[in-house]
Amino acid sequence: MKKEKVSKAFYLMTIPMAILFFIFHTYPFIKGVFYSFTDWKGYGDWNFVNLRNYLHIFKDKNVISSYLFTFKFALAATIGVNILSMILACALNAKIRCKNFLKAVYFLPYMLGVLIIGYIFKYIFSNIIPMVGSSLGIEALSNNLLGTDSAWIPVLIVTIWQGLAFNTLIYLAGLQTVDTSLYEAASLDGATGLKRFLKITFPLIAPFFTINMVLSGKNYLMAFDQMMAMTNGGPGTATTTISVLIYKKGFTGGQFAYQSANAVLLFLIIIFISVLQLKVLEKREERVGE
Amino acid sequence: MMGVKNASRQKKNNIVTIILFFFAALVIVGPLYLAIIIALKTPDQMSNILALPNSLNFDNFVKAWEMTDYPRKFGNTLFITVVNLVFTIFTNSAAAYAIERNRKKRKIFNALYYYFISAMFIPFNVLMLPLVKQADVFNLDNILGITFLYIVFGLPMNTFLYTGFIKSIPVALDEAAKIDGASPIQVFRYIIFPTLKPMTATVAILSSMWTWNDFLMPLVLLSDKKHQTLQLAQYVFQGQFNTQYNLAFASYLLVLLPVLIFYIICQKWIMSGVVAGSVKQ
Amino acid sequence: MNMKKVIAVIMAGVMTAGFVTGCGQSSKSKSTKDGKVQLEIFSTKPESAKTLQGLIDKFMKEHQDISISLTSQADAGTILKTRLTKNDIPDIIAMGGDATYTELQSAGVLLDLSDSGFTEKVQESYLQMVYDVNKDEEKKAYGIPYATNASGVIYNKDIFEEAGVKVPKTWTEFMEVCEKLKAAGYTPFELTYADAWCGLPAWNSMATVIPEKGFTDARKKGETTFADTHKEVMEKYLKILNYAQEGFLGTTYNDGNAAFAKGNAAMSIQGNWAISEYIKTNKDINIDMFAFPSTDKADSNTVTSGVDVLMAVSNQASEEQQEAGKKFIEFMLAQENAKQYIEEQFAFSAVKGVEQDNETVAGLKKDIAEGRVSNFPDHYYPSGYDLAAILQECALNFTNGMSEQENIAATLKLCDEQYDAANVE
Repeated sequence: MKKEKVSKAFYLMTIPMAILFFIFHTYPFIKGVFYSFTDWKGYGDWNFVNLRNYLHIFKDKNVISSYLFTFKFALAATIGVNILSMILACALNAKIRCKNFLKAVYFLPYMLGVLIIGYIFKYIFSNIIPMVGSSLGIEALSNNLLGTDSAWIPVLIVTIWQGLAFNTLIYLAGLQTVDTSLYEAASLDGATGLKRFLKITFPLIAPFFTINMVLSGKNYLMAFDQMMAMTNGGPGTATTTISVLIYKKGFTGGQFAYQSANAVLLFLIIIFISVLQLKVLEKREERVGE
Repeated sequence: MMGVKNASRQKKNNIVTIILFFFAALVIVGPLYLAIIIALKTPDQMSNILALPNSLNFDNFVKAWEMTDYPRKFGNTLFITVVNLVFTIFTNSAAAYAIERNRKKRKIFNALYYYFISAMFIPFNVLMLPLVKQADVFNLDNILGITFLYIVFGLPMNTFLYTGFIKSIPVALDEAAKIDGASPIQVFRYIIFPTLKPMTATVAILSSMWTWNDFLMPLVLLSDKKHQTLQLAQYVFQGQFNTQYNLAFASYLLVLLPVLIFYIICQKWIMSGVVAGSVKQ
Repeated sequence: MNMKKVIAVIMAGVMTAGFVTGCGQSSKSKSTKDGKVQLEIFSTKPESAKTLQGLIDKFMKEHQDISISLTSQADAGTILKTRLTKNDIPDIIAMGGDATYTELQSAGVLLDLSDSGFTEKVQESYLQMVYDVNKDEEKKAYGIPYATNASGVIYNKDIFEEAGVKVPKTWTEFMEVCEKLKAAGYTPFELTYADAWCGLPAWNSMATVIPEKGFTDARKKGETTFADTHKEVMEKYLKILNYAQEGFLGTTYNDGNAAFAKGNAAMSIQGNWAISEYIKTNKDINIDMFAFPSTDKADSNTVTSGVDVLMAVSNQASEEQQEAGKKFIEFMLAQENAKQYIEEQFAFSAVKGVEQDNETVAGLKKDIAEGRVSNFPDHYYPSGYDLAAILQECALNFTNGMSEQENIAATLKLCDEQYDAANVE
């Protein structure tokens, strides 16, 4: 194949950016991997310790429980957000009044930072709901949920509240591509309601489902802001996600290298999950498409 | 027959409308309403939290404004967001253009494409510890530094978005301009960049929302009070707000307000922008 | 087209605003500006921010050539460690004599103040406490002890009077008091366990008295375990929880302080640092403190007291800044300023000749004068050992209805595991 000429300008557009990216993104990443094999405290002398940090992770209850919690949380948030946003998108896609206004209202949370939303909801859960709960005599609501085993539920609610907007919008875009004449045909076949949704609508918006699952799955595995605002990882370590753990312990001298190892492990897990998700979902999409 | 069917459908849709309004009011507007009335009250009006305040009281806002040094924090956050936005749009779209158009001609561009795309899988938390260490060497723990990092860190996602879009722009367009004597930079400047507009809107919104609302990166990088962002300032002042919830909520609202105003003005544009990019892929 | 112009104008505005507000400069702010030495003081005690600011203002009036800014924020320990990691040490640090101090000191970023003449001004015993937490217990003053705290039980005198109970001296009396208060319809304790650290004071009071002396050293060498020595501590710790208000695990420090100040409970297990918070809510609150009655031997129960605030100077700061920092410490150590600090904070002073005579802590005076004082055991635990989270989990088990025996065993096992995990070396 004859090589076409490539103008220098194209190199100018990419190479400097690539170099900067390497220095400030890839290089720290490599360094992190490097640290994970040492006992460095972030200052002073260090030694290589081979795989010690990694082996230790599997014996450390804090780390294991934070991984378990993060998976549980990410799974619940991903499923919750996607189911609710799909319902919401279908509702908003129906022939309703004030459609644009309603769409605008439901998209609003996307614009607001999770930290502040977390603070507002923390107040609601720890001061308003117990007050309302005890005046109505509802035992389950009269205590601050954030101080119980169920502390993760308020955190989940905030996450869903904020995450719903984006996914709904994506599903809406998907639903708008669905040809309404298909519905008419379906209703002639007697397919209505849920059946119609599963048989006709869902397969058509499957690609959008894939986007949403992958994006939200990855996001929620990284959850940080909402915990910092609402529970600070507690009570105990009940809502400590991996991100929170790395932040809280990573800067503590003895654990700088150790938490670097944890971060590397997190990276591997994210890659594994993302690839797996893409594979499974794409396969399913193909099958649906047939 | 037809008439009856239509009428019943009309009725059904009204129910959906009502339900949607009900949930919008309860779930979305409710918490914000609470935040607003609490911010407008004085502590002694708090006995009935849900009730409207007796009179409009903006003292909390004034106090929060002074306490958190709002104008400076606002200026910082705006600076980061706007500068990041401008640089991101120009540099990242140009890089994506060069990569997409030359992927088949030179291996290096193809390699760069995969390099950036694979970097999307590296979450910030993984870089955090070494990056904080590096911040000392490169002097990044200030506003300029963090803005710079945002521009660099947005690259993988934006390359992904832009290249997908550029693929759909026919190469013939470039060729025609080239024959007219335009340099690659001119082609990009006058032909490609304007065509990219829908995707640029997406990138603009996604990256602005990211930088405006980000908390973790400012938390670990910006320690000097003068350089803090609005989000970080809320975290920092959390301890000092104490049980002065009225004051705290006024402060939260001051952070949310610019975004709310911006959203009300550009709402349509924002919603279509977010969809354009995300769905294109 | 107009849109473009508008955007251009906004952009220009933003850029100038940004540069004017000083984004241009590095955050390692220049050591001098307008001929003034610039100092940053980092305080890990948000409660004392107001007092410190007052003293700083006074100092700046006396020293026109020095400009000081105060940084005081939530979760200060983590923030400080983050700043250590990026080598951005504040010029002066006002912090507790705890594991975070040990970490800064062993990282070698603190200035040795042994020869500055400050050490003669403070009490020997507190200086010793600082030496104790130095790496290898080096006898050098990298931090000057300034204020000390006292942790025990804070009680509402009015409620005690109404319920007809007296200050308990022993554990048995203590439990009787709780029973009587409960019977009279009062909530004995206001606990604020939503903030994890609030679970520590009760542990700290008991863990120095109940287990045999020398535990911390023996544990460090791995000669003993929490499980072998802290069973009684845990039993009593759980007893206390029985007398706490409803939903104590969901009560934050701030909310709980407000509730206690309003008289919702008779006692709170806190230190003197909480008093200024109570007074913020209720100026007229009638309170006092007593030593936590850990055991039935009244004489062996102690007030837990440690270095609440020590002053350290960064050796990373410029020479001018170091000099200015020393000047500030000298100013803080002056009798009237030290007095002002402890009066506003209801703390005790490490400065010789400065005494606390506020009524709200009067109950502790005798114990302190007679030397029934012990340091916070958690100051000797390794940094990164999150005992607060463990105790919060224990309280969570308690509210979930786990049996006492099971909870004690689980918690102490966790204590040991985490202790070993924190010592990854």
